[in-house]
Order: sequence, then structure tokens, then C-alpha cells
Amino acid sequence: MIENGPLLERLLEGEFICAVTDEHSFHKLQNEQLVEDLNHFLRPLNRRVAKSEDGAVYFLAYCDLNQQARQQLSQQFNATVQSLLPMLEWMQLVQEAMGRDGALSAGDTIKLQDFESKVVDNQSLIQRLGQLSNDKLFKSTSDKADMQIKQVFKRIKELGYIYQPHKDRLFYIVTGKVEQLIELVRFIKDEENVPIDEDAPEQEAMF
Amino acid sequence: MSNIHEGKSSAQSNPLFQLGTERLELIGKHAEALMQGYLQGHVDESSFSQQALEKLINGRILWRPDEQQPLSLRPNVNELIAGLTQDERKRQINSDVGEHLDLIHTRVQSLQAARQKGDYAASEHHMQLLTERVHDMTGQFGDAIESLWHRLNTEFGFVSSLDDKILEIELAQRQLRRILDGFKIISFDDLIQLAGSDGGLRKLLVSQLQARISEHSGSLLEVQKRLVLLMARFRHQQERALLVNRMSAFLRQHPNFKVGDYPNRSQVPAVINQAHGIIAQAFVALDRPQDSYALAEIARAIPRDLVPESHSEKQTQGFATSVQDLVATEQKQLAKDVEDFFLYVIESSAAISGVDYLAENEMPWEPEMWLFQIVAEYEGLPQQNKQSFMLEKDSARKSPFNHLHIIQDVKLGMRFFGDFQAAS
Repeated sequence: MIENGPLLERLLEGEFICAVTDEHSFHKLQNEQLVEDLNHFLRPLNRRVAKSEDGAVYFLAYCDLNQQARQQLSQQFNATVQSLLPMLEWMQLVQEAMGRDGALSAGDTIKLQDFESKVVDNQSLIQRLGQLSNDKLFKSTSDKADMQIKQVFKRIKELGYIYQPHKDRLFYIVTGKVEQLIELVRFIKDEENVPIDEDAPEQEAMF
Repeated sequence: MSNIHEGKSSAQSNPLFQLGTERLELIGKHAEALMQGYLQGHVDESSFSQQALEKLINGRILWRPDEQQPLSLRPNVNELIAGLTQDERKRQINSDVGEHLDLIHTRVQSLQAARQKGDYAASEHHMQLLTERVHDMTGQFGDAIESLWHRLNTEFGFVSSLDDKILEIELAQRQLRRILDGFKIISFDDLIQLAGSDGGLRKLLVSQLQARISEHSGSLLEVQKRLVLLMARFRHQQERALLVNRMSAFLRQHPNFKVGDYPNRSQVPAVINQAHGIIAQAFVALDRPQDSYALAEIARAIPRDLVPESHSEKQTQGFATSVQDLVATEQKQLAKDVEDFFLYVIESSAAISGVDYLAENEMPWEPEMWLFQIVAEYEGLPQQNKQSFMLEKDSARKSPFNHLHIIQDVKLGMRFFGDFQAAS
């Protein structure tokens, strides 16, 4: 158990462990026996190891949903819901700027310089970036695209959705936490019967 | 195609040889312009001389599909280039097995007829054609499978958008099914019957063919499996992109959209059950003597400032500062009064008694404290200034049993040229 100390500590600090942020620990957590041992240790702290549905990311969840835990979850969930639209818009922005079809997924790389040069070339992307960076999630006060981009990526890094392998290089990798966000989106869609499954593009055009 | 094969099989005297060589050379001669035509879909007529154009058209290399259409490469030539360059955009999969089998039947019949006649040369010729036909058929399967693998391994990189990739996979799956259907048409029972007791034919039509087909089937099954996986991946990506796009559009259109209060449901959904972080902290345990050495090491390793800070100010903080402040102001007042006393002494000509001065000015200090402060002030003067003053302690022995002297008064005066005024 001793050698898993650092891993436990990181989990307890609320970190998400995926193949991008910590490949070694991520592989360790795929061992069910280890997870069981960790859970045994975490039980008095009312925590257990949980993973996203597709297994892309590990984190801690509450065992007992007591009042305190629920309060904490409420707070966190509200924050996530608040940041949902800006996060989705950011994903779209990156996707379009980089000319990708698929949504961002764990392991995708983003070179800030590439992204910036693509955005700066396109008036509509600049405009969208401006709006996005003004959102209270990012709180950029600059009207310069490069500063806005820096601020947006800095915040998203803080939120744990991207990982910067080298401190002084503006090169990011999308983490498994993004998968968790997508799962949440899917869940909300199903749960609230959000009518976006069929013919949504036509609806969009109508609006 | 078959013309070329026949040309190859015959000796150089065959008229086909001459013709085929000429046309291949023609392709080589105009290779660049033809490749341009291949990529653009039509050739630029101005880049050829009139004569060359005619040659190319007569050589069945270029044609005009329609009166209004520009000149372009004939489908056969297109296919040849696509096959040579593994260009998956244009490469065609020809999985028509029926025609091959028909031709094989015909060839075998011709062969047997020639043998019955005892025409050795003719039967040799037919055997040659039959072998080629069989190899063509298996080679065609091989090409098709190779093309599928190639597309698979490049993840359909020749088209850029996800939608196109998915369409391409669907196309590849249809091609694959057609090849598998083609395999089913090949009836080995028929072929065994056809080959009869002829060892050579049996080997060609049955054992060799069977080996090739089963090899291809295995490969195709693998391709099929991989195609399904790749398709699932692409579909997954597509679905995510749609989800992200549509959800963000929806949220933009419905700014007041409220999601349910999931954290307070009786069944909290797993997707939101994320425990908040605990920052683990630990402190030095002084109750464990076995750690003292390690702790000392750590303590020693703490970097410290080489110049010690003036602690006095800092240290007073945190105590009962109000009392401390009061004492400090009193101390200052006392020092100031003593200073005034010294000034008084300087102005007056005679030596002054400290106790008298205190009584005269009705100051609140205790005599003992007052005298002590005067002595302290005197002793604290710089040497030079000290020489200007003369201090006389008026003390009495407290008791005959020890040497304790109590100072009852001090007299302070100015020293002028060595005399002590107080003494005078």
C-alpha cells in the first residue's frame, strides 16, 4: 500500500487520473484487486474509486450520500452546469479551428500556436473567441485574441480538461475528464428529454 | 487485357507484340500529361500535338465519353494507374466471379477437345490460357483484399471528413460482401468434376485454388472485423460531435434551461458523484522520540537568512501590546524628564540635587526610579560628554554587617576645567 501513497493522495485531492495525466497510475487502477484495496482504505473517508462509463478516467466518489456529501455534490454540479455551455463552445471552437470532424476526445493534442493562427485567420472564429473569453468561466478582460486564448486555455487547464506536459511549451493534451463531461451531457440529454436527437439541424436552421 | 496476355504468351513474331509495345511506349512518352489528366479527370488537349492526340485516341488510351465532354483517359487506363499507385479513390474492385468461371469452363472444354484430337500445340496453348485465367481470378481477389487492407490501415485517410469516411467504410463493406458472395459461387465439386482425372488440371483448379481461396477468406474475415471496429469508432466520434454541437445549440437557444436537482435525488446518478478534494496535511509529531533525529535533519535543512532580522519589534507583537505600549510611553516620559534635568544642570551654575529637583517640579516618579534613571543617563553618555559632567552619589551604608550602600541622592553638576562645582 505504501507505494500507492502518492496515487491515493492525488485521488483524495480530487484529481482525475487518466492515460494522459498519469499513464502509470491509470494502468495500475485497472487492476481490480488494487482498487478493492484502495476502497478499503478509503471507506472511513466516505470515498471509493469510481470511473467514467467508458473507463477513460478514474476519480473518487462518495460511498454514502449523506447530507454533507449531497451539499458538496450540489455545489459542484451547479458549477459544472454553469460551465457547460462555455465548455461545449470551447470544444466546438477548437474542433472547427483545427478542422476536425469528431468532437475533442482524450488524447487529442492542441498546439496553441496552430490554434491561434487558425483563429486569427477567420473573422467569425475571432468573434466567437471574444464572446467565449468574456464568459464568467474565463473572465478575460483583454480584447486581443492571443491574450484571450491564453486565458481560456489557462482556465481549462485549471479545470483539468487539458494537460500541459511541458511547463514552458504551449502544447496541450485533452484529458479523460472531457469524456466525463460528455457523459454528463449525454445523461442530461436523456434525463431531461432534451429534443436534440432527431432533425436538430433543421430546427437549428429554423431558429 | 486479354489481348496483352495473348501477346505475351506468343513469340515476338506475333503482331500483337509490336502493337502492345508501341502503345505502352506511347503511355510512357506522355506519362506526365496523362497523369495530369488522371488527377484532373480530363486531359488538357493543348499540351499534346494534334498528331500525338490522334495516336493516343487510336491507341485506345484517350477517348471522348461524349461529344461535349473533354478528352479523358479510358476507364482501363484509369484503373491501371489506380492499381499501380494504390489510389483508393479510384481503385475499383472487380469481384465478378461468374464470368471467370464461365471462361474457365470454356477453356477446359477447348483443352479437352484439343487433347482428344491429339493436337499437342493447341492443348498446350489452351492450358496456358487456362492457367492465366485462374491466376487472374485469384489475383483479382488478392488485389481487392489488398486494397481493402490498404484503406483500412490508412483509416480511410484519402477522404477527410468523418461523414465521407463512414460512407467509404460502408462501400468497403459492400465490396467485401460481394467478394465473399463470389467465393460462394465457386463450387469445388463442379471443378473436381471438370478436372476429372487429369492431375495437372486438378492441381490448378482444385488444390491450388482452394488454398488461395481459404487464405483470402481468412484475410477477409479479419478485414470485416476491423471494418466493423473502425466503423464503430467513427460512428462514436460522429455521435459525440453531434451531441456537443446540438447540446450547445440547445443551451444557447434556451438560456433558462434548468436541469434536475440530481445531487438531491434518492438515487444520485453515478456521473455526478465526484467527491471533492481533501488536502492532506500532516504535522511534526514531537511525541515520537524515534523521529527526533530525522526531524532535526529536516529542521537543519531549512534555509535561513544569514542576516538575522531585528526581532525585538516583531516579538513585542502578539503579547499584551496595550500594557507594553503604556510602559513604553512612561519610559519615554521618564527619559525626557531626566534629559530636562540635565539641561537644567547645564544652565545652572551650581550642582543640583536630584531629589530636590524631583520635589521642586512635582514629578510623579518614584525617587528610587528617578535616581536610577539619572545614573543610567549619565553612564550612558558618550565619553566626551560624560567628562563635562560630574556626578556625586550621596550614599550611606545600610548595615554594618555588609557593604551594601543605598544611594539616597545624586548631585549633578558641570565640570569646569577640572573642578567639581558641586564640591565648592
